[in-house]
Amino acid sequence: MIDLSTIVVSGLGTVSAVGCGRRSFEAACRDSSCHWTPVEPDGLHRVQGSRLAGLTEGLDLSPWLSPVAARRMSRPSRMAVASAKMALEDAALDGAPLDATALDDVAGDAPTAVVVSNAHGPTSLIEGILGQYYGQSPLAVSPALFTESVANAPAAQVAITCRARGSNNTIIQREAGPLIALAHGATEIVLGRAGRALVLTVDELTPLLHAVLDRFGALARREPDGSELARPFDRRRSGYMAAEGAAAVVLEPEPAARARGARVLARLRSVTSAFDPRAPRNGVCDRPGRLARVLGRFLEASGLAPGDVDAVVSVASGAFALDRLEARVLKRVWGGRPLPPVLVPKAVVGEHGGALLAGLTLAAGGAAFGPTPGFSEVDPALGVVPHDGAELAPERLLVTGLATGGAAAWAIVERGDAP
Amino acid sequence: MAGEVPPAPAALAAAYGRWRHYSWADRFAVVAAAEAARQAQLPVPEPEAWRPELGVFFGGSTGGMAEGEDFYRRRREGRHAPLRLLGSHQLNCPGDAVARLFGAGGPVRTFSSACASGALAIGAALDALRGGEIEIAVAGGSDALCQLTYSGFNSLRAVDAAPCRPFRADRAGLSLGEGAGVLVLESRARAEQRGVRALAELAGAGASCDSHHMTAPHPRGEGAAAAVERALADARLAAGAIDFVNAHGTGTPHNDAAEWHAIRQVFDERATCIPVTSTKGSVGHLLGSSGAIEAVATVQCLLAGQVHPTPGDTGPDDSIGVDLVTGGPRPLDHAAVAGGDDRLSAVSTSFGFGGANAALVFSTAARGPS
Repeated sequence: MIDLSTIVVSGLGTVSAVGCGRRSFEAACRDSSCHWTPVEPDGLHRVQGSRLAGLTEGLDLSPWLSPVAARRMSRPSRMAVASAKMALEDAALDGAPLDATALDDVAGDAPTAVVVSNAHGPTSLIEGILGQYYGQSPLAVSPALFTESVANAPAAQVAITCRARGSNNTIIQREAGPLIALAHGATEIVLGRAGRALVLTVDELTPLLHAVLDRFGALARREPDGSELARPFDRRRSGYMAAEGAAAVVLEPEPAARARGARVLARLRSVTSAFDPRAPRNGVCDRPGRLARVLGRFLEASGLAPGDVDAVVSVASGAFALDRLEARVLKRVWGGRPLPPVLVPKAVVGEHGGALLAGLTLAAGGAAFGPTPGFSEVDPALGVVPHDGAELAPERLLVTGLATGGAAAWAIVERGDAP
Repeated sequence: MAGEVPPAPAALAAAYGRWRHYSWADRFAVVAAAEAARQAQLPVPEPEAWRPELGVFFGGSTGGMAEGEDFYRRRREGRHAPLRLLGSHQLNCPGDAVARLFGAGGPVRTFSSACASGALAIGAALDALRGGEIEIAVAGGSDALCQLTYSGFNSLRAVDAAPCRPFRADRAGLSLGEGAGVLVLESRARAEQRGVRALAELAGAGASCDSHHMTAPHPRGEGAAAAVERALADARLAAGAIDFVNAHGTGTPHNDAAEWHAIRQVFDERATCIPVTSTKGSVGHLLGSSGAIEAVATVQCLLAGQVHPTPGDTGPDDSIGVDLVTGGPRPLDHAAVAGGDDRLSAVSTSFGFGGANAALVFSTAARGPS
């Protein structure tokens, strides 16, 4: 467990299917309003029949990214840079380069770290390169595509644009990635290696990736009435709604934020992570005991009992097995006690749309969350009813990050300043 | 021309129950990790074992891309493209495979910052150990060659048709390679308690970002120098305590020149006489796992008390003043350090696309009481 109690979130930026910026994300969560659009057919046979996703095409990023800069970037890089700049604006840090100090002043330097969580990488560029390679010839591969096809391209572009010269890390750990990245960025500050951190999550969805996810049975099944919904914890859940997008938060020590007059959106308290090696490569282990033990010890080490948690910001997404594991772990830790309200931001913007980082920040900042979209029938095997839209004023949140493949992470986040 | 790993012998494949489900990168990772674990007397546990005290930190940049290319090509050709080819596609799969093999229950994290990935992963493992999150870490990197890598670096004109010649006057590019390098890390006290010999000490780690360009390094090596200086500060060692540098040394004209500027900035007057070598001259550029395999090579040099040479017999670049180790292994003469101990120390550097920089400091294992 890492004690991060001096670190706060002072800015949030988002790019998702529901729009750009904190306010659009907040409105979507408040109104339970999703925005699913058709994905271009790819030709791969779909077992779930999924055709919708949370896409960002058509969003205008020009307020944060000039066309000249954007043309050199992949879509994930554009979303990452735009969300980072939004977060910096939100934190009243836009304008001057973040790290103007001379790099050879080691003793005095407190640079800005950049940590990006990513699940699938810049898929459109990789597909583009392979298209050139196999469709034309190996010599046709574009150097511009190649340089942006690396997984850390978004992190690099954020650092170049924002002049951030601290450590630059891209973490790939699927659904657990955002919380691991959050912990990594905060730890850089706590250890004195960075004065602040930009922590992001970004992912891109292509028609081929959407089709592959469908073939793996990961996506919400198209229903007879033509709808597709993430139904987190619902008896009828059949998979998640795939999405793309980015979320960025600015982390800094609370005294630094206060000195600037910045609003504290959320306070980090502690983060932990674990792994269950019984999980298959692309699934989860359905036995919750080990992860429940880790979560229970984490709460205890944080000085908390389950009853001290006012709300859960859940990693649930409508994925059948992952939601089940999440429910079982929470139920095991809470024993016979009722769970606090369980917020499910992925029900609004989908999986890999920046939901967890944005959701935890908004919840800690006192944002209203409407009824969980897609939920209507409790699964008796799970016994979890996600948030019904009642008014919330959580002081303390548990944020969960269970991942397919076995990784898991949890965070305790505390309330920020009132809006 | 590249440093490709030959196919595994049947006996090796048979030792791993999931072998046929693994990607190439997964296979490199588990084999290297198993070798490291044997040395560390860390047995592969029973299937249901769970070790919350053990974490896995891995770096990589391609994951199961080679298999993914096969899927893509088959689809394009209208042939059956089995989904199993994508089963290990994601970059976290090699690290996860190692975690499953060893029953890891602690943090498992994959870092993908291009050529700095493996070193960054090792640095993260060091943080987790120091912070008490875990007691033992399996840390390293794994990458497999694929058409995307070959064609991509060729498109940049970054690859030399001949074996790479880091820091030499006629250097013309890098040589690609593949493979994995893994370290088992734990506190000296714990190793002694287990009766395991410490091979070396991971004394410190540092990282930075050039914040300059997606592919070109900062021309004055400022970010690279910062990473090394931060690693030295983390190790609480002065630059004068370093006995050799295992350089990033890709053999590309700009990278080697920028690295020379960084060496000058860090080592000042000693820059022209501190031995420098590049493991890439021997095994090629292993991309996301280069930092890890070069960490292994650095440890091996410290153990042997000599720096491995950088292959090749062409002349040095007169504009780059490094004291390149060539010909044969060079015995290490410990640089005098006022008030310091008599341990040998080295820096291993890794600089990636996008300006991600990492440096690791290793020292020979301390003698005497814990």
